[in-house]
Amino acid sequence: MSVAGFLELVINGLISGSIYALIGSGIALIYGTTRVLNFAHGELLMIAGYLVFFFAVTLGWNVFLASLLTLVLVGAIGALIQRVTIAPLLAREDWAFRVIAATIGLSIFLQSGAQLVFGERFQSVPYFFRGVLVLGDLRMPWQRIAIFLIALAIMAVCALILYRTQLGRIVRATAQDAEAALAVGIPSGLVHTSVFVISAVLAGAGAILLSPLISVNPWMGISYLLKGFAVVILGGLGSFGGAVAAGFLLGLIESFSVGFAPTEWRDVIAFTFLIAVIWVRPNGLFSGREA
Amino acid sequence: MLRLENIDVHYGATQVLWDVSIEVGEGEMVAVMGPNGSGKSTVLKAAMGLKKPSSGRVVLDGEELQGRSATVRPRRGMSIVLERRRLFPRMSVRENIMLGGYARPSAEAHRSFDWVLDLLPEIRPHLDATAGKLSGGQQQMVAIARGLMARPRVLLMDEPFLGLSPAMVKNVFAIMKMINGEGVAILFNEQNAKLSFAMSHRGYLLESGRVVLSGSGEEMLEHPEVKRVYLGVREAVS
Repeated sequence: MSVAGFLELVINGLISGSIYALIGSGIALIYGTTRVLNFAHGELLMIAGYLVFFFAVTLGWNVFLASLLTLVLVGAIGALIQRVTIAPLLAREDWAFRVIAATIGLSIFLQSGAQLVFGERFQSVPYFFRGVLVLGDLRMPWQRIAIFLIALAIMAVCALILYRTQLGRIVRATAQDAEAALAVGIPSGLVHTSVFVISAVLAGAGAILLSPLISVNPWMGISYLLKGFAVVILGGLGSFGGAVAAGFLLGLIESFSVGFAPTEWRDVIAFTFLIAVIWVRPNGLFSGREA
Repeated sequence: MLRLENIDVHYGATQVLWDVSIEVGEGEMVAVMGPNGSGKSTVLKAAMGLKKPSSGRVVLDGEELQGRSATVRPRRGMSIVLERRRLFPRMSVRENIMLGGYARPSAEAHRSFDWVLDLLPEIRPHLDATAGKLSGGQQQMVAIARGLMARPRVLLMDEPFLGLSPAMVKNVFAIMKMINGEGVAILFNEQNAKLSFAMSHRGYLLESGRVVLSGSGEEMLEHPEVKRVYLGVREAVS
């Protein structure tokens, strides 16, 4: 394999990995703080895909304005889902299975709703960034490079919020000991809603960055939800940093598997790796480093 | 100042407290003593709003607090040091202590931080350490510091001596006396009858979720039942 070919695999891996990291870190943040597994997380991605399509393509707005409004709206939808669907269940002692059932139901509801409203047509969003970066034999569209850079910047901002702000401190405190956090006066309801908003914004950012590369459709969240869960397990349940690292790792594994084997083997190899990791390290690669 | 009146608490269908009434006066040190599983921790959690009583009242300075969120208590001058310290283990000691002042405005929290470190100077060298990596005794200091950050008028302490070395028990005992000397009322629970009643103004004996005996610390220590069951002293046969 040429150096350019190798570099291309690395860059492609980092690009897919950054999307997995965005989605997985959101799921990890919710799980780490509330112990809730949100099966409707993929649908936040789908909703954001349709929103950016609606604003940028149907209404023809500036793509950055469309993206910003999409993030605001998907964050609000995340808050709504937490308040209306999840918070009432968390008040019950036997909430764990009920929350899983409720979020699966919500996922199906949102997919069917999208089918009814937008139909089964796959919608495409044009590239936000034109041109191709050429470095010797390496050719890479700027759109793909932007995915990696913007995703990295978003995760850096999230890490800053988590580790350098009071909001981050109360989120981490609630994740580490919810009762002790409540005892010092931290309102867990507000923390849970904030975490859902951050997580929804992360998924929304992933959808906006992805939408020019894949078609927007009612089922687009399903495969990313599965990858997101894989990333959360690989990273150590509930670890934000672990999910980010695992996202990039999964992206690289997929990219190199495509480089050396037919495309159909991509998921087989990636999930075989996941199973092997669970075997050797049942708590994930970065367990014990939760938010 | 703090009154628990006729408190019943259930965990699911199981009742764990029956008609428990406890009172803590201004600046008092009050002990709740009882064997394992008698409901001591639940009493403190019910007072702090961490466990919702199924009936009864929690009154702080005339204000009824039952049914209100636990987040209200630190703003009203109540704070708790939970059993087994319960620090945020992956956060620094400084972050742990500062979070104790979450309910206070930022400037006041910073003043409380200085006050707490003056009171417990042994914490100062460990401020940037990860809380979960400290020894049990050091963690207890940090937990007390976190509890004091709310500048409570009444501090609840759930088994403050649990798992500590004898030297550290003496140290924590001295700190509790010192805090109480600062005018902070303390309601604590403990399994050791001699220790609990010797250091408290008043005490309650809890058995199977019911208050079976109450009185001043001295009265409790001298009570034949406490002596026989909890201090292992046999009455002389006349």
